[in-house]
Amino acid sequence: MRYTDKENISGADALLASLINQGVETVFGYPGGSITPVYDRLQDYPELHHLLTRHEQGAVHAAQGYARVSNQTGVCMATSGPGATNLLTGIADAMLDSTPVVCIAAQVPAAALGTDFFQEADMINMTIPITKWNYQITRFDEIVPTIAKAFYVARAGRPGPVYIEITKNALVERGDYHWKPCTGIRSYNAVPSVEPQAAADAVEMINAAERPLIIVGNGVKISGAEAEVLQLAEAGNIPIASTLMGLSSIPSDHPLYIGMVGMHGNVAGNRMTQEADLLIAVGMRFSDRVTGDLKSYAPKARVIHIEIDPVEINKNVRTDLPIVADAREAVQAILSAGTITRKPRPEWLAEAARYAKIELDKVINRQLHPNREELTMGETVATVAALSKGEAVIVTDVGQHQMMAARYSTYKHSRSLITSGGLGTMGYGLPAAIGAKVALNECPSTADRDVVVFLGDGGFQMTMQELGTMIHWGISVKVVVLNNSFLGMVRQWQQLFMEKRYNATELVNPDFVKIAEAYDIPARRVTRRFELQEAVQTMLDHKGPYFLEVIVGREDNVFPMVPGGASLDDLLYSE
Amino acid sequence: MAPIKDTDNTVREYIITVFTENQVGVLGRITSLFTRRKINIESLKVSETPVKGISMFTIHAFTTEDTACRILSGIERIIEVLRADKYRTDELTAQQIALYKVSPELFLKNGDACLKEYSARVIEINPEYVVLERTGAKEEIEALRKYLSDSGMLLQFTRSENIVLHNSTVETALNGIIDRQDYLGD
Repeated sequence: MRYTDKENISGADALLASLINQGVETVFGYPGGSITPVYDRLQDYPELHHLLTRHEQGAVHAAQGYARVSNQTGVCMATSGPGATNLLTGIADAMLDSTPVVCIAAQVPAAALGTDFFQEADMINMTIPITKWNYQITRFDEIVPTIAKAFYVARAGRPGPVYIEITKNALVERGDYHWKPCTGIRSYNAVPSVEPQAAADAVEMINAAERPLIIVGNGVKISGAEAEVLQLAEAGNIPIASTLMGLSSIPSDHPLYIGMVGMHGNVAGNRMTQEADLLIAVGMRFSDRVTGDLKSYAPKARVIHIEIDPVEINKNVRTDLPIVADAREAVQAILSAGTITRKPRPEWLAEAARYAKIELDKVINRQLHPNREELTMGETVATVAALSKGEAVIVTDVGQHQMMAARYSTYKHSRSLITSGGLGTMGYGLPAAIGAKVALNECPSTADRDVVVFLGDGGFQMTMQELGTMIHWGISVKVVVLNNSFLGMVRQWQQLFMEKRYNATELVNPDFVKIAEAYDIPARRVTRRFELQEAVQTMLDHKGPYFLEVIVGREDNVFPMVPGGASLDDLLYSE
Repeated sequence: MAPIKDTDNTVREYIITVFTENQVGVLGRITSLFTRRKINIESLKVSETPVKGISMFTIHAFTTEDTACRILSGIERIIEVLRADKYRTDELTAQQIALYKVSPELFLKNGDACLKEYSARVIEINPEYVVLERTGAKEEIEALRKYLSDSGMLLQFTRSENIVLHNSTVETALNGIIDRQDYLGD
């Protein structure tokens, strides 16, 4: 807390002082008409770094990347009207991926609300279904309590986006400033406590199970339950699978880790879900991308669902034992409620190895050791993973490269895969990577970690102007564009399910290397296998931003695949 | 046993009651949960409870058990919501009030039945029209409307939303919640 009492300051000052009191170091933003009073005062608060992006969508995705890496609240700022509407995609994305972001926008003067004033957009109504909370500030004295509450709501319980707009009159009004943080709201029980009986029941169910499987989701990262989950798994000799959003919470090389579940998950993760007699779901929401056809999902399993948001309990999958609580507290409670029996489970654990071998033979070897000339997405990702020794934070956009990046990266540290899971937002990757790198730089112990963002040639072009943000602020993101000159994931569906009718998926692209060079970013294009290793090493060794374009096979596909709506039993291994 | 949810696709009328902080925007948040699922709200009542600052919503809608549960947990998730409950229509007493404008000539001739059989009362008489009022369940309101309409008396009709008595008083329903303040530190 830096500012306690200040007399006769403007609303803009009150906002900025409150952000600093909340511990905010970085704001991603873009100025405009109504918000100019805030930008006018910004220079008097040098402890607050404002990073000008090239589009408001870039600002909100950067705030998301910042939040996902640091587990802190990301902040972005925009003007009223189009500035604010450009935040919508990122807000919706943050809602589905439980990302704490506070989005602050200006609004036209209170007296002009509802008059179709210049740059007026009814953002309060537009953000209702995609925010955890929103509020319109129209008076100076609402600023402090609202900002304090916004940060509390964004991070408490299941995190999510909060949208706050401040009418221009409130930004220029003057008043006395008294800071008070918010530590709770009477109508919101953010962290329900674990019922002791539920923890005891969980122990009993776990000890009774012969083929238990832990599935971890994003909630494990948010609550910091990584160590506790491993403790539980090791205590009971229980294999662990992860959702896309949970990836990196469990180290890839842990002997009990069996890989990802879901549409492009690992064979072991999906098949063992179908064979398990107990699923211990920790901080995940059984999304349709995870379960496939619900009617045939996990047919033999009882379900323990540890989840902080009651809305998720019994939403898609019937739960035998719901534990509505913080994931870390819940797993701790289970561990202390009784002794977890360590069963050898030789056959159950051998299943994981057997499925891994099937996947290696049928899928992975074709990606990593292809006997064809063209480069694959998988071998590029694996090369980055090997040369960065799993130390890099991997960020992805959305599409085939996303699934390849998720599948072929190796993770040592939690919160090392940043990807748009629920909303599947193309254009997310580059700005999220910028935000992720900014967050790493703020902490001396992580400042050395690289951020490598994998992008497709489609998604890159949705937000590629953010290369400007990278050079403007010297943010050393390593950009890898996996270029197949297609909107690859849609093309894959057209190939597999629409008799190869390729409509609106082939791209005519510019020279990406020239674009990067125009931004003065060192850039290189790789087209042949023998160059790949050296090119990736050069990128990782380079101090500063770097751009690598890898020309990959045009019609390469992501496998294994559970087709949309199909059962996890019906995996596709190839075309 | 497979973790498949029991799917009961029977569409029924549900009553959802909600206690919330009396703040701008809560109504919009609640209705958006119905709108996004293309569910029509049949009846909606919002009013302040005897406890200052706390409002009660009563919403009637037709849907399935599964969807009603999802909507209810969506409502409970709204930051300003203190408590929400879901009932079937036979679990709570619901009443509406209706006003019937009728022709004075016909009413003076045959109006007795309205007052006796349908428990209506006269609240205004003038040479142009008579206004009757009736409080009752939706079916009772409808029965009187049909009688007046069939007998050619009815000129105009309006009725209110349903009001229900919650199972407990607002104080007991919100026991332990409303005594708290938002926690603002120093």
